Amino acid sequence: MKVGKLTSAGLAALLLAAVFTGCGSSSEGDTTASSGNVDTAASTADAAKTDNTAGDKAVLEVLTNRTDRVDDGSLDELTKAFEDANNCDVQYVGYQDYAGTVATRMGTDDYGDVLMIPDDVELKDLSNFFDSIGTYDELSAKYRWADKKMDADKNVYGLAYGGNAVGVLYNKKVWADAGITTMPKTPDEFLADLKLIADKTDAIPYYTQYKDASWTITQWQSLVLSASGNANYENDLLTKKLDLFAEDGGYYPVYKLMFDLFSTPDLIEEDHMTTEWESSKVWMGEGKIGTMVMGSWAVAQFQEKAEDPSVIGYMPVPITAADGKQYAETTSDYCVGVNKNSKNKELAKKYVDWFVGESGFAAKEGMIPTTIDSALPDNLSEFSGAEFFEKTPTPEELIGKFDEIDTKSGVSVWGGDTDNFKIKLAEAAFAGKGEDEFKSIIAAESEKWAKARDEVLG
Amino acid sequence: MFEKKQKRSFKEWFHTYEGQKLYVSALFLLVPLVLLLTFTFVPAFNMITYSFQERDQFGVDPQFVGFDNYKTIFTNPDYFITFKNSLYYLVGSVVQQIVALLLASILCSEIRAKGFFKGVLFFPYLMNGVAVSIIFLRFFTKGNPPLTQEGTLNSVLQMFGIDPVRWMDAANPVLVNCCLVFVSIWRYIGFDIIMYIGAIQSISPDLYEACDLDGANPFQRFRYIVFPSIKPIISLQLILAVKGAISVFEIPYIITGGNYGTSTFVIKTIETAFKKKQVGLASAMAVVLLIIIIIVTLVQKFMFRDESEVEARESAKKKRLKMSEKGAA
Repeated sequence: MKVGKLTSAGLAALLLAAVFTGCGSSSEGDTTASSGNVDTAASTADAAKTDNTAGDKAVLEVLTNRTDRVDDGSLDELTKAFEDANNCDVQYVGYQDYAGTVATRMGTDDYGDVLMIPDDVELKDLSNFFDSIGTYDELSAKYRWADKKMDADKNVYGLAYGGNAVGVLYNKKVWADAGITTMPKTPDEFLADLKLIADKTDAIPYYTQYKDASWTITQWQSLVLSASGNANYENDLLTKKLDLFAEDGGYYPVYKLMFDLFSTPDLIEEDHMTTEWESSKVWMGEGKIGTMVMGSWAVAQFQEKAEDPSVIGYMPVPITAADGKQYAETTSDYCVGVNKNSKNKELAKKYVDWFVGESGFAAKEGMIPTTIDSALPDNLSEFSGAEFFEKTPTPEELIGKFDEIDTKSGVSVWGGDTDNFKIKLAEAAFAGKGEDEFKSIIAAESEKWAKARDEVLG
Repeated sequence: MFEKKQKRSFKEWFHTYEGQKLYVSALFLLVPLVLLLTFTFVPAFNMITYSFQERDQFGVDPQFVGFDNYKTIFTNPDYFITFKNSLYYLVGSVVQQIVALLLASILCSEIRAKGFFKGVLFFPYLMNGVAVSIIFLRFFTKGNPPLTQEGTLNSVLQMFGIDPVRWMDAANPVLVNCCLVFVSIWRYIGFDIIMYIGAIQSISPDLYEACDLDGANPFQRFRYIVFPSIKPIISLQLILAVKGAISVFEIPYIITGGNYGTSTFVIKTIETAFKKKQVGLASAMAVVLLIIIIIVTLVQKFMFRDESEVEARESAKKKRLKMSEKGAA
């Protein structure tokens, strides 16, 4: 009897244990699945630790999101120069789900010596995790985006390793075959050029990627600031209470262009519901697709799939701001910072300086290098006529307000859900509903936005 | 003896059969109950609380807004359209029942290779919904020359000299919804057929023999013998169809992603919670869905309650009445 009782109690305990470990292990399974690199990453980390005690060389552990460049060994190769010069060993640990994994590691003291600063860390908390690299006044003379990871005392905790420009992806050969020699500067020119492509080549002038609309359509939103030509536009929307779709603003020209483009069946593919993102990279390289609105991050991916990478080009936003100039917003990628608990802080800072400055990593990736005096990468050569600017930081009292209005109003400027105004505009355009429908959609959005703005800002 | 029992210490009670029966079953029940509470009732209760709030996905500083969220669901056309879309599926399932009944009657008659046809018709039901949706995404494809070929349906139409049709057309949401409803019918009809075959086969063969002797034609046989016998099953299926129509998810989610005016209630709930991050509103939608399902289930229970159960309850009522009469006397 006793044995029976014991067994039943044991069974119950086992069952409970199984249930809970079941939950645990499944979530672990998820992380392994989402980041194929975790195992190798862990083993490199272990290796780094043992090296640390055994060898006399200093070891730097660098956490990065660029698993692609860790896997193909190009980061290690690039770093050899630094390792030789400083007699140290740099170990790269790549995470696919970078922000999530690093957030967990940052719960302890052990989160590498150098790491990309996750954007979830609030600016005022930076000093709890990272060592200051210098002051803003020192660094801003030499580096772009020096204010990205800066606390209220103007101490800088991280520098971006590169930046991206906003523009439009296109196939140079297709555009040249259509006889286009100068890049379009206004929406009308852009549409006329696409018409030329439709008439003179077999390529589809513009590929909407509508099957994956939930994210591809948000690419249009990234054009807004460049179109407005105003680095402070997002703040002005709040402080000056501008109409969201005012005709002289950033939203109107971008979405008007999108609407006009999507309303012209000759310029886009026939069936929007079955577009294929992965295949489109190949098609673009083959010259079957002319143009796509994508961030410059996509350039490298499309070049990889193209037989001749040089056909993939990147042009500035074909919208001229009110002052008659063409603008291009630049945005920084991850910022590199130094762990406050690192044993080799000086070396780590040296590494940060080297990586964002001399390494040439950004240029190799086709990004805008962080050092101010460096040349633009080749893929941005078309941008010579455009003026670069960076979004001005949000003033203290407005931090978080934009997002709050955005959520509260349901406008969701970066969203791609089925109720989103971008989807409504696109579908009205596909259905050929015309100008009036466009006006009524944006009027409704402006009204929702204004109402939420007045509620939030009072 | 009675006193002795009361005086028994806890330790003694612990070792008796009654005691063991109580605490062992309590311990065993504890496991499912704890799981049920933590993973069903607590979240469900929280959801109801959230549905009266305006809150983001982190739950920072939620505001109590009363019935505003519910008002939005029933007044905002973006949300209300999902009920309209449910009607497509409801009408679709009526069509589905009719076709299923027809096929079931055919399969119950004297034909060859019955088993084979039953297998073929039931097969789609066994397939995963995601797989079915991907198959039909290809089926309805309008090609993008020079990039992609016409889909299956258009290729077949072309063989008959008909121009390819753009099935997923933003200008024609009715057509898009009908295509999706067709997929839904294709997938679920097998199950209905099997249900009807079961019901038809349970009809006593004597009845058939009798009506054959009376010289009834097949239609009359169906009208006066088969239909009345399987009426309960038909109404059950129709009630289940209401549940199904309101909770359609995977087919439109994979084929159109809810675009082109094909969003359903469940798709919209997910988008509201995880894309628009309006958790309060999404919770209210979930509560509405819960209430609709509860109502439908109650209707179903009421209409199909066990006959014997009803009789038992009524006889108990009579007994009670008699007792009270006696008491009064």
